[in-house]
Amino acid sequence: MYIGISAYNHESAAALIDDKCELIDFCKEESISRIKGDKSFPARSIQKILDDNNLDIKNIEKFIFYERPLSAFLYPLKIASMNLPKSIPLMTHQFRNFKKSSLTCFLDLSKIYSGSEKKLYYLDHHLSHTLTALLYSEVHENLCSIVVDGFGDRSTASIHNVTDPYNIKELWNLKYPFSIGLFYSAITDYLGFSINEGEYKVMGLAAFGNPKSKYNQVINKLIYWDKKNKSIKIDLKYFNYHTSITDSYSEELIPLLGSPRNPFNQLLPEDSDFQRYADIARATQDVTEKLLIEIFKYGHELTGLTSFLFSGGVALNSVSLKRLANLPFVDQIIVPPSPGDAGAAIGAAYYGFLKGKFGSDIIKKPSLFPSLSKFDKQFNQASKIISEDFHVLTQEKEEALIVCSKLIKKGEIIGTIVGNAETGPRALGNRSLICDGKNHDAVKFLNTVIKNRSPFRPTAPVMKMETARKFYKINDALIKAYYSMSATCECLEDSDALNFPVTHVDGTARLQIAEEGSFIFSLLSKLSSYDVDILANSSLNISGDPTCLDFFDGLLVGVNSKLNYLLTDYGLLEKKS
Amino acid sequence: MKKNLKKETQILNVLYETAHAEFGSALEMLAACKKCDSPSTAFGYFHHAKDEYNHANTFFSILKPKAKNVVVSKARELRFQPYSVITKGYVSPKGFLIEFMHLKDFIAFVYTNELLANSSFQKMLTLLGKKTEDGEKISKIMEDELTHHGMAKKHFLKYYPALQPWQLRLYKTREHIKNNGRKFYDKNLKLLEIIFKPIYLSFSYFIGKIISFLNLNEFNREGKNLMDISQKSIL
Repeated sequence: MYIGISAYNHESAAALIDDKCELIDFCKEESISRIKGDKSFPARSIQKILDDNNLDIKNIEKFIFYERPLSAFLYPLKIASMNLPKSIPLMTHQFRNFKKSSLTCFLDLSKIYSGSEKKLYYLDHHLSHTLTALLYSEVHENLCSIVVDGFGDRSTASIHNVTDPYNIKELWNLKYPFSIGLFYSAITDYLGFSINEGEYKVMGLAAFGNPKSKYNQVINKLIYWDKKNKSIKIDLKYFNYHTSITDSYSEELIPLLGSPRNPFNQLLPEDSDFQRYADIARATQDVTEKLLIEIFKYGHELTGLTSFLFSGGVALNSVSLKRLANLPFVDQIIVPPSPGDAGAAIGAAYYGFLKGKFGSDIIKKPSLFPSLSKFDKQFNQASKIISEDFHVLTQEKEEALIVCSKLIKKGEIIGTIVGNAETGPRALGNRSLICDGKNHDAVKFLNTVIKNRSPFRPTAPVMKMETARKFYKINDALIKAYYSMSATCECLEDSDALNFPVTHVDGTARLQIAEEGSFIFSLLSKLSSYDVDILANSSLNISGDPTCLDFFDGLLVGVNSKLNYLLTDYGLLEKKS
Repeated sequence: MKKNLKKETQILNVLYETAHAEFGSALEMLAACKKCDSPSTAFGYFHHAKDEYNHANTFFSILKPKAKNVVVSKARELRFQPYSVITKGYVSPKGFLIEFMHLKDFIAFVYTNELLANSSFQKMLTLLGKKTEDGEKISKIMEDELTHHGMAKKHFLKYYPALQPWQLRLYKTREHIKNNGRKFYDKNLKLLEIIFKPIYLSFSYFIGKIISFLNLNEFNREGKNLMDISQKSIL
């Protein structure tokens, strides 16, 4: 048994892979602690994995940490040291927070499971990402892996040639501080959204922007592909993320783009500054896509391969995938459901397996719902909450689906806590808020009242494959990505879908194709009798919180929001008025 | 004018800190709810968590319109950062209280801290004005805090009848002293920070100069099989 660990940078997580190369369990620390973006050492996740799988720490052969800690510590310091004295505060912060850096992984593990630190191993950060993506691929040989993120342990983007799982050669890398991820985050910050949280919002806002605005030229000068050196260059005069702990962009950026947005001013399409911010978001999105295209082209040039793995935090940019998949040399792009740092724990565990005594020919593609949810005990614990705050409409599964279908048809919104939880940041039905995807009022209520999201943000649809092909331009190169809601696609010309509330202002949707056998697939099958073939699907949480994991989390969203119905493994619940 | 600005900043900072503190309490209560075997106790903690979440939201809703008028650099600092509950110390890096505290101590902690929270909200009420809309929201929160305090007391005496109210008062005094100690420590830490800052900065500059001579290019991976690199190396 192998446990992969990711921690200290973004969301921490733990993953368990067994001797048959099967992903047995996966858990994000934020899901348990309920602290969004929890980057602490994932002690609770590891313990939950051990408990739920009846394992003892002795059963774990290796713990594998998803990066090389000294590299992750030294590289940013090296760059900061070249910018002295400006970077002194950053350096001081790094030294003073040494105890919170990944260098302490060894100590944290030994504190909790004494002796286990001897079983701790490390691999390159971008290799963790590549291995995560590889696990989700049907083929495991002759692939070109593209990894793009903010910063790993030495580079910010890389191209790997995957001859087979034991031969993964790095052909190109982009050195920190040049980073697409950090550039995108700095603009996110400038636009008033939180870094590592608001990038989705920038992506959504970009759809309102004019692609030919004056900001397009401006942004294109800030970051560009250096043809001669086959690399990306950033004009660092406009950014501070490599020298400051608090400011991601410099004062120099303000004369170029205008005043940054105050995060507390709500962004509404009718506001005077909305178009300027949307244009900046659009220019940022466009230049990001352009740079990703250059990396893919170079990857193809170096390897001659046409099947790609794409991972790292920037692979969460689902809009860019649409353009990448249209490149003439691309046959397919595999994006893991959790391409960011949390998901890299899966790649780390896989590395442990590969370094063990087993062959790679027995790789099993992981489920989209790998996070074991053994919460039966909570049904008894929550009995008083259920009786006081909810009506139990039915405890019979089939009947619950029928009642849910009727409610959805009536325009109601249902929260779901069923079966195992999803790996990635996108809820795929088991921890979702769902409603009729063609009902404008219901989708608006879900988005703005229950979720309290900005009105410019789209809500994603979920449907079966045959429905998707009826309304949307499905690109076969991305077919796997649609199952985990990782890519957007355009509506077919003159399609009714252009008027669906789940279609964004630019005529695209980040659709999810329901996987056969999943809960959402069963519900869609039931809903066909009620003339509902598309559901709006958003994660079950209230804005700012992590997606719900267990029964109590779901009940809390129920009592703390305007959500009236919860479908759970216990039964279908209706909130008392 | 200057005085007003200082007061406004003070209010913003207090609201920001309190919102995080309430959010931290919500997480503590939810964690306690999940640890309970008794459905009644779980119900109590569940509703306590719900209230604390709402309090956190209320403080942010009061902060939001005020923060619209401050300079962007200050407004950016006032964004809700969930992970700050740990860095600010509202949730211990060791874990939630219920994960390492005896249940009896935990209940006593809730009992005393709800009361202490109530008294600090009293100060905030003075800052914001009792008869304002914001003041009314805070008064409502204060009522909730007193209810939670009463519930904790009832719970404590029910499950630990051998303990007397005077022992609860002892808990309260102890917590009160601890809180004052924390404030004293914080104030002195700020003073020490001022004294030692030049030393930190000089140290960073000096180490930075050494690091600038490091040649990390030797560890470049280009052309290497990543699977062949030592799994024990941290560089």
